[in-house]
Order: sequence, then C-alpha cells, then structure tokens
Amino acid sequence: MQALRRIFAKFVNLFRRRRADTEFDAELDAHLGLMQEELHRRGMAREAAQREARVKLGGVEQARELHRQARGFHWLETLAQDVRFALRTLRKNSGFTAVAVLTLALGIGGTTAIFTLVQQVMLRSLPVAQPQQLWRVGDAVQCCFSNGYTQGDGKWLPLNDWSLFSWEAYKLFRADTPAFENLAAFEVGEHNAGLAVRRAGSQAAVEPRIGEYVSGNFFETFGVSAWRGHLFTDADDREGAPQVAVMSYHTWEGEYGSDPSVIGLTYDLNGHPFTIIGVGPPGFLGAKIDADGGTPDFWLPLTTEPLIAGPTTQLKNPRLAWLDLIGRVQPGVNPKTLEAQIQVELHEWLASHVPDMTLQEKKLWEKQTLRLVPGGAGVSLMRQTYENGLRLLMLAALCVLMVACANIANLLLARGLRSRHQTAVCVALGASRARLVRKALVESVTLSVLGAVAGIGVAYAGAKLILRLAFESPDNWIPVNATPSTVVLLFALGVSLVTGIVFGMAPAWMTSHAEPVEALRGSNRITGRSRGICGAAGAQKTLVIVQAALSLVLLTGAALLGESLWNMEHSNYGFDTSGRYLVSIDPKISNYTQQQLEPLFNEIETRLRAIPGVRAVGAVLEAPQVGWVPGHDIRIDGRPEADGSSGWTRVTPGFFDTVGEKILMGRAITDDDNAATRPVAVVNEAFAKKFFNGENPVGQHFGPLPEKNEGMYEIVGVVRDIDFAGGVQPMYFLPEAQATQFDELESESREVWSHYLYNVVIWAPGNPPNIEAQVKSALAAAAPDLVTGGSQPYSEVIRGHFSQENMIASLTWLFGGVGLVLAAVGLYGVTAYGVEQRTSEIGVRMALGANRSSIFRMVIGEGMSLALIGIGIGIASAVVLGRFLRSELFGIAVTDPFTFAAVALGFALVALAACYLPARRAMRVDPVSAMRCE
Amino acid sequence: MASEGESRVRVLQGTLDLMILRTLQTMGPQHAYGIATRLEQVSEESLKLNQGTLYPALVRLEQEGCIKGSWAKTPSNREAKFYAITRTGKKALDRETVRWRQIAGLVERVLAEPE
Repeated sequence: MQALRRIFAKFVNLFRRRRADTEFDAELDAHLGLMQEELHRRGMAREAAQREARVKLGGVEQARELHRQARGFHWLETLAQDVRFALRTLRKNSGFTAVAVLTLALGIGGTTAIFTLVQQVMLRSLPVAQPQQLWRVGDAVQCCFSNGYTQGDGKWLPLNDWSLFSWEAYKLFRADTPAFENLAAFEVGEHNAGLAVRRAGSQAAVEPRIGEYVSGNFFETFGVSAWRGHLFTDADDREGAPQVAVMSYHTWEGEYGSDPSVIGLTYDLNGHPFTIIGVGPPGFLGAKIDADGGTPDFWLPLTTEPLIAGPTTQLKNPRLAWLDLIGRVQPGVNPKTLEAQIQVELHEWLASHVPDMTLQEKKLWEKQTLRLVPGGAGVSLMRQTYENGLRLLMLAALCVLMVACANIANLLLARGLRSRHQTAVCVALGASRARLVRKALVESVTLSVLGAVAGIGVAYAGAKLILRLAFESPDNWIPVNATPSTVVLLFALGVSLVTGIVFGMAPAWMTSHAEPVEALRGSNRITGRSRGICGAAGAQKTLVIVQAALSLVLLTGAALLGESLWNMEHSNYGFDTSGRYLVSIDPKISNYTQQQLEPLFNEIETRLRAIPGVRAVGAVLEAPQVGWVPGHDIRIDGRPEADGSSGWTRVTPGFFDTVGEKILMGRAITDDDNAATRPVAVVNEAFAKKFFNGENPVGQHFGPLPEKNEGMYEIVGVVRDIDFAGGVQPMYFLPEAQATQFDELESESREVWSHYLYNVVIWAPGNPPNIEAQVKSALAAAAPDLVTGGSQPYSEVIRGHFSQENMIASLTWLFGGVGLVLAAVGLYGVTAYGVEQRTSEIGVRMALGANRSSIFRMVIGEGMSLALIGIGIGIASAVVLGRFLRSELFGIAVTDPFTFAAVALGFALVALAACYLPARRAMRVDPVSAMRCE
Repeated sequence: MASEGESRVRVLQGTLDLMILRTLQTMGPQHAYGIATRLEQVSEESLKLNQGTLYPALVRLEQEGCIKGSWAKTPSNREAKFYAITRTGKKALDRETVRWRQIAGLVERVLAEPE
C-alpha cells in the first residue's frame, strides 16, 4: 500500500519538476538560515557562521540531485534528458542525420513492407468468434478436387494427408463426432461455383460472380452473424428447401452500393431463382483464403449444387472429395483424442466402399489416414502460394537491414573517433561510463526510431508495389492491403529498437573505453597505437567485411532468381506463343445446353476467322499453360498389361493448326468427326511412346477404365508433344462434336462437362491492329449471352504465371542493389577515413622514397583485401543459404559456378571503384605539407 | 552518508527513517534542521550527519504517507517546511520499532555467544 502510494507520488512529480525544485531550494534556504541564526546566537561572527552552515549542510548540488532521485523516476528523467540531448546533437549534424535516417528508412521500411504482407498472409486468424476453438480435419491445402478412395500413394503424396471429403463422408463425420460442437464443410481450394447473376426478370447482361457451396451450419460454426437480413442454417440446406443465398459484405458494398433493398430480392443464378436472405459481416470472406481463385460473392447451401451444376453434379458422388472441413470443438476435448476418433471414422467409411474401389485403391486404403490441425486461420491457399516467396523476401530485407546497420555503425564510429577528445574530457570530469554508454545507445536508438518513422512511409509504398506486382489483377480482389496495421507499426518500432542497439553497440563500446588521459594529452593527433583506436579500426574493417558478404549473398540470390525467371519465361512448351491470342469464355454459367454448344463454337470460330489478319481459330477445354489437364486410367483394346494413366482434353478441328501442333502420323481431327461418325481420338507422342513403345498406334482402340470401354475410341493420328501443364505427359484429344455414353456416373458427368470448352485460341501473326477490340465485338455478335473473360496475347498469359517469381526476382534485385550501394559506400568511407588519418604517415613514406604508385597500390590493396575477404565469406554463406532458394529455382543449380563468378567479379569491380578515389587522394599527398601538419 | 571516522556511527539502511519518525513523534512537528540537530544531540555527536542527506529520507517518508510537510513560520519569523508524523507514520513506527528490537536482540544474542 505504501509502496503503491509512493509510485503514485513519484508519477505526479514527473509533471511538477520545476515546482519541486523551487520548493526544495526554499527548504534548503530555510535550513541554512536556521543553522546560521543558531551559530550566530552561539557567538560566531556572521560570516563565519555562514561558512560553517554551508560546510555542515554539505554539497548543495549533490543534495539537490539526491532529492530529485528520491522524489521522481530518476532513470526516466535522465532518459528524457538523454533523448533531448540526442535530438539536439542530431539536429546539429543534419547531413549525417539525413544520410543515416535515409539508410535506416530503406532498411526498416523494406523489412516492414514484407512484414505487412507476412502478417496478413501468414499470421492472421479468420475474423470469427474464438478462432482457437476451430480445428480442421486434414492438413494438406489442396487446389482441386480429389477423385477416388485414396489421397496419397506414399510416393508422390504422403499417406497421412487425407484432407478432402465427399458430401457423404462429411455427413457421416458430422453425425458421429459429438466432440465437434459444429462441423462445417465448404468447397475446396480454387474451385468455386462460377455464377452468372442478374435480377430475376431483368433483361440486363448477366454479371459473372463467384459462388461458394457451404454447409447449412457454416455461419453458425464460425460464429458470425448477419450484417443485414439473416444467414442460412441447416434448415435451408435441405433438398427441396426454398433456394437462398447469402451475399458477402465486400460484394454488397462494392457491387451493389450497400443497397439494403437487395435483401429479400430474388436473383437468377445461372438461370435459377435464389432469394438473397442476408449479407455477411464486414471482413468475413469465408474460411478459405485464395489469391488466385478469388473470394466468394455468394454463399450457397451445399444441397443447391445439383441445381446449378445440372448433370455434372458432384454432391452425391462418394468418390469425389471436394469439401474442406473445419469444426468448432467442444470445450475440454483433447484434440489428440478427437484426431484418433476421426481417423477411425475415416477407416469405417472407406471400409464401406471397398467394393467400389479400383485395384490400386484396394491396396492402399487401409494405410490412409488424416491429421487434425488448428483451423483458426482457415484454409489458406494464398499462404501456401506465397509462403516461400515471402520468407525469401524477409530474409533479403533483413540482409539489407543488416548492411544498413553496419553502415550507420561505421558512420557513428568515425564520428566517435573524431569526438574522442570530448568523451575523454567527460570521463576525466567524472561522468560515469554507464551514463556515457547509455547516452550513446540512446542516440543510436533515437536515430533508428526516426528511421522507422520514415521507414513506415517506405513500407507502405513497398507493400503497395509488391501487391501490384504479384497479387492484384483487375478482376481479382484479394483481402490483403498495404496500409500498416497496429501490429505492423509495433513491428517497425521493435525493429528500430533492435537495430538501434545493434548498430549503437560498437560506438558505445568505444565510448566506454575512452581514456581520461587522452584528454590531458591535449592533442588531436591519432597515434594509431593506442588500444582504443586499433579496436575501433578493427571494428570498422569487420563491419565492411560483413557488409560485403551480405550484399554478395543478396546479389547472388538475385542473379539466380533472375536467371531462373528467364528460364521459366523462355522455356519451351512445344508451341510458339508469338502471334497467338487466348480468349476465355464460360458457356457453362451462361446456361448453354449441350445441344447448343456445337453451333455456338461454329459461330464463334466463323466470326473470329473473319477478322482481318486471323489465320486460324480453335477452341479447347483448357488451353496449354492456362489450366490443368484432367487425367484418368485407360485401357488399350486387348492389352490389359499396358493399363496406365493419361491426360486428355477436348478440341475443335481448328485447334492443332492454331497452336501449330504438327501431325506426325495419321490425320488431325476434322469436321467429319461428328455425331454421325465413329468416335475418334488423336494422341500425342508421349502417349504413343508410353502405350505403344513408339510404334504406330493409328487404327488402335482404347477407352477409359473399366474394361468394357476399351474399344471406345479409335486413334486416327499422332501429334507433336505440347506441354499443357506441368510438363509433357501422355494425352489424347477428343473432338468437340462427338459424345459417347457411359454407364459410370462419374465418367458420364465428365463426358458432359468436358463439352463446355473454356478457351478459344486465335492465331494472328504480325500484330494485326486492334485485334482485341475486334475479338470482343465478334464474340458479342456471335453470342450476346456468353460470359467472356476477354482476350490476351499468349505471351502475356505466360508471363502472368510468373508474376510472383517476377516480383521476388525484382525485389531481390532491388534489395541487392541497395545492399551493393551501401556496401560500396561503407568501403569507400573506411578507406577514405584511413587515408585521412594516415596522411602524415604517407608523407613520411614518400619523403623516405616511396613512389606514388606504390602508395596507390597500398591503399587499393588494403581496401580490396577487405572486399575479397567479404566476397569469400559471402560465397560460402550463399552456398549455405542456397537451400532456401532451391524450391524457387527453375533450370539452374543453386551453386551455379558461372553465376557465382559473375557476381563476385561484378562486386569486386564496384569495390575497386570505391577504393579508387581514396587511393588517388593518397597518391597526391604532398609530403612537405603532410609533415608540416605534425 | 556518515563520515568515515571510527568513533562515528554508520547509519544502517532504513534506520534513518525510523529515527526521523521517532523524533517527530516525541518532539512534534519539526523542520529538517530541527530534526538534524535533534539527532546529533541524542547521539551525543557520535552521529555526524551530512545534513543534505536527510532530505531523500524525508521525501521517501512523505511519499509513503508516513509524514506530512507544511510551510509555517519559525519563532524567528522565517518560512520553513515543518514535518509532522501521520497516523500511517505512527503505525509504521510501532511496527518497525518492534522489528528493530527483534533484530537488535537477535544480533546481540549472537554476538554475546562466548567464543
């Protein structure tokens, strides 16, 4: 109680410093007066009494200081003094301060910019109630559906990563696991329901939107409530229930102008009426975070999927895993126990499907298992996509920060050496070393806090740049922004404190070793012999070596990433992108029936071919290097031993000519391959090689498993390999105009959706003018109702794939460049300082007969030896740190000797330039005037 | 805090507070000079205070609420700050006196042990 009272009193005294001082002076005055009176009364002469009183009281200044210490937070007050002093010093040396603050702003700003993104991409929880109670069933982050009763073969994918579930499995888990207060399901990864939306009864053009199927208890599980209207529940997620949808706040605000009358209205989603019953809370974007697939505009109950998907529905197919599960766990449940229970449930469910399994699945299903992981951050594809890149950039930013620290430490050291005399005087006058060290540290921390303030501006601009380079595209909004949050500001402050201490350490150390005797020596001459100086010069050299090493690491990384990016952008996909354009369309959400498709594509192709300059047009399910390649196991007619997996796609006859895919054997698909003729397929070289050992397959038959389909397609031709996605693989091409019947539900569904082709490729060499606008009007004329995504030169499409790699490589170059400049400045500074200090020594050498070129060589040699040691250490570190880069590199080894040699040589040249100026100055020293200074 | 002569007593940490409180309790409100004079008298000059060092103890005691200072006139018509013991101070004094006696007794007993 008394202690508390005292702290309060001390706190109050912080604000009445001056008054307390005055009062104490009055008290001391009274004290002296009383004592004097007393002594005088005892018979002492007035003046003698005055003297005696002062002696008995002791040092007045000392008493004042003790009083101050006792009454307030002494350390806080002296800290404030130190800060004021530091600010005054910095203001006086404005040139030094500007350089230091700018350097720090770059270092701290770069680090903070990366952290802004790291925090949002990797560290953020979903904006939901009690996210720590949420657990996810399964731990792998998948982009796409999984088809089958295994999700890992122990080779390519681990066996314990089961992460996606069919509707059937979800319902079973939900019913059998009471430890989950609630278990929600939502559509996996990049798969969203593509929606074409317009007001019911309106004739306006449909607008493409993103829908996500979620279970009825989705909102309840996450504990979110409606911003407007209400959210759907299990009661709405029943077959036959009225069709309802919930709109996301972001969409409501951005696309519907926050219009409250939207709630309760009916909208046509792909031609089916849905009532919008509510708007989700601000900031809530569902449970998956995806930078590529976009964020959902509408949430729809799972059971509406058959309505929207029509014949391609996947809801009731137990083989098709397409749901991520996150549940809210009851309080007190041990996650390990729960995990074990879910594993048992998975096995029970799999056991009930053994008869439906393929041979391969029968071998593996018992080994399948899953893990339960914290689900508070949702399922973040964005994190998966950007994690490595951001980690790499964070590393690079920290390197730059360290180089910046070393530079400022060097500046402070040089300045400290110049003001050595003053420091020595302070020590001689009795300043405590602790106070001097603290003063030095306070100055460097003040400096770095100023740097951080400027750095926040750099961070904002930097984060915006990164977002523009890598994340954002005009039609794809993602929930990451560059504005610094409180966490980010705290981070910047923390970094500045740490850096301030790091770069302040060397100067503070030097201060603490100041010798009072130097003050008495009275000369500013640096002898170069005393211990303190040797130490400081050694520290400066060490710092320069560290800088050189760090910037070499950065530059090597940048060079490797740059080469890798070049390799990626120029890799051979088996077709030439120049003169080719890609058009994206979505006949599926535009509600075309299957019968309308063939005429639709005919019309589109005819209109596009009529554009001047267009040489060929062809449509394809998903164009090369744009989407993915569906695959399945096939059987060659009469050769069960050759069973294996093949990719496939569907094309119109013009496709092969359009992409320039050469026919090697047989013929291409033609207009004569239609509903009236026998089903045919064209295969690629890899297919012929895999299934026919390179022999001529024309005339042979094959089909997707099971066995009864083996005679389904006749091979009529072989084409040159093209890399559609992730490397060349065996593929076959089916004509758009043909369809076959399957008894298997899944194959039949695939047969239906594969007729909805998503891409049209145009070949129009020689840059015909205005092609994109003409394509747009041709499409509008051909099919006014068709939802289209516009056209783009193919080379741009490819480049777009590497936007992240491009961003990482560009930023690493930027960081490397800043590091190089800082390191060169550091080297220059130390060499120049050395020459300045040794002017008289150089003069003596010259007087004794050393010629100018040997002086030049000496200075260059000393500077370059630092640079070369730095290069050596840098190369070794780059080799060690290379493992962080391995996964990012394409077509180049982490230890590519040519790159290392080129970077080292480049760096050595810059270092040489940095040493050249001081060396020239040394060479021009006039021995007479140098010695006169002595 | 105390001078270094052999015959003079070094003031133990905290005992100065105790002595100030006791002085104020027996003598009533006093200014710092009065307290210092009194302490020197009682100790028969064996405690030679550097009188300036009295002040930190006074600040401490006042901040803890054990004493309260107020400005008043001395008989010689001089403005001085008079310190008076408070109720909290009296309680603290009683408590600390008991503790001091315990410790002093204990130390005494230990020192009285025959070799």
